[in-house]
Amino acid sequence: MPHFSNKKLIILLVSVIFLVALIGFSLRDRHNATLPEQIIKDTVGFAQSIVAKPTNYITSIFSNIDSLLNTYEENQRLKMRLEDFAVLQAEVSTLKAENSSLRELASIEESLRDFDPIQATVIARNPDQWEEKIILNKGTAHGVEKNMAVRTSRGLIGKIVIATPYTSEVELLYTNNENYRVSAIVVDEDNKEIHGLIEGYDDERNELLLKRIDSNVELDVGGKVLSSGLGGIFPKGILIGEITEVTTDDFGLTKMAYVKPAADFSILDHVIIAKRKTISIDGSDGSGTNEDLTNEPIVEVEGEE
Amino acid sequence: MLARFLIVFVGILLFLFESGLAMFSPLQLGDDTYYLIPRFLILYLIFLAIYYSRKKAMIYGLIFGLCFDVFYINIIGLYMVLYPAVCYIAAWCVKRIHPHLVFSMFLALLLMVIFEFVIYEFFYILQFTTMAVQPFIVNRLVPTTIGNLLFLIMLAWAFKYCISARVFQRAQ
Repeated sequence: MPHFSNKKLIILLVSVIFLVALIGFSLRDRHNATLPEQIIKDTVGFAQSIVAKPTNYITSIFSNIDSLLNTYEENQRLKMRLEDFAVLQAEVSTLKAENSSLRELASIEESLRDFDPIQATVIARNPDQWEEKIILNKGTAHGVEKNMAVRTSRGLIGKIVIATPYTSEVELLYTNNENYRVSAIVVDEDNKEIHGLIEGYDDERNELLLKRIDSNVELDVGGKVLSSGLGGIFPKGILIGEITEVTTDDFGLTKMAYVKPAADFSILDHVIIAKRKTISIDGSDGSGTNEDLTNEPIVEVEGEE
Repeated sequence: MLARFLIVFVGILLFLFESGLAMFSPLQLGDDTYYLIPRFLILYLIFLAIYYSRKKAMIYGLIFGLCFDVFYINIIGLYMVLYPAVCYIAAWCVKRIHPHLVFSMFLALLLMVIFEFVIYEFFYILQFTTMAVQPFIVNRLVPTTIGNLLFLIMLAWAFKYCISARVFQRAQ
């Protein structure tokens, strides 16, 4: 056994106390980076982004090979859908034109759907994989802010939890964090919107949970789940996934659905950060501070007078 | 001087490559998901502690651990303490006996498993994960150990070359 003198023992005790204090301090406020933390994050992020380039290149080769193997099958499937697609595209373009002219008539300028895309590259992924997190190469210097939605071309993957000047951290939808909610809608056959919240995920099935759905409505398996934008942060209409099973929740008061995410979480390289154009508020998608937002402007006006 | 620089440089590279390789994980085989966690840096530090210098390995462990804590998990003090602690234990184990390469490999692997387990317990207590012990062992620990064993063999081979070339004696 190593021999401890009195002096060494005291140093050991003091450092244990210091350590516990340090862990406690950093646990309390994990979603804001202090200045030294920001400097370390940016420096490591810079080095990481250099290394990430060849890694991303290799990853893309792998996924290319993977898609090459499925080419024949995929091609046949796509050919079948190609004709439908042309019809659909024509329909979408007329609908878009109609939508914008109607908007002009009703003089609505902003829509929850509009967002400014910021392209970003994934430079790192948390190696210990206990928390599903990825780190991007864009930060506050590029206009990224906390709580923005992050998506790939296929669907929503998560939101920004920390933004430093040159990096930002994304918490993926696969998380055990109970406060991580995304306000979502399902559009059924009659074009009626059914509201719910994405809350947590199921470990065993690897699927997301859509909770708090009105127990009176009928949900269909295969229905598409989209972000609703009503949480106050995310733009509307980002695809989240597809319903695979509908059950009642733990207390039997509301319905719950399992949602298979549309985005592929295993290999992520390029993502889009969606900065919504409409004013963002502190809703359930965001920090959820429950601040009184409606009365604020009136108070300001009174102050000016 | 050159060797000392090289030792730090390899450490930095391993630190950066860990997260790059993490992008390939988790692997989906059939219905099961397997997590491969690269633990290259800690294996490297264990070898440094055994063959190079305990003190330096612990200092590198402290610095890399701090970077890891701040950059990835935002809890300062977890890896920052565990990295040097593992180095200390590794050096303590080989204090009295001459470390044979196979013994060092076995020791490094054992320490890595313990390291992995301590981190699991930490996250379990903090409720960042709800994974039970058995799926943890089957889906994470075993694939991680096998994956890192491949790296360990390469590392041991490189260290064998370094020991025979007496690079470490010159560096110290």
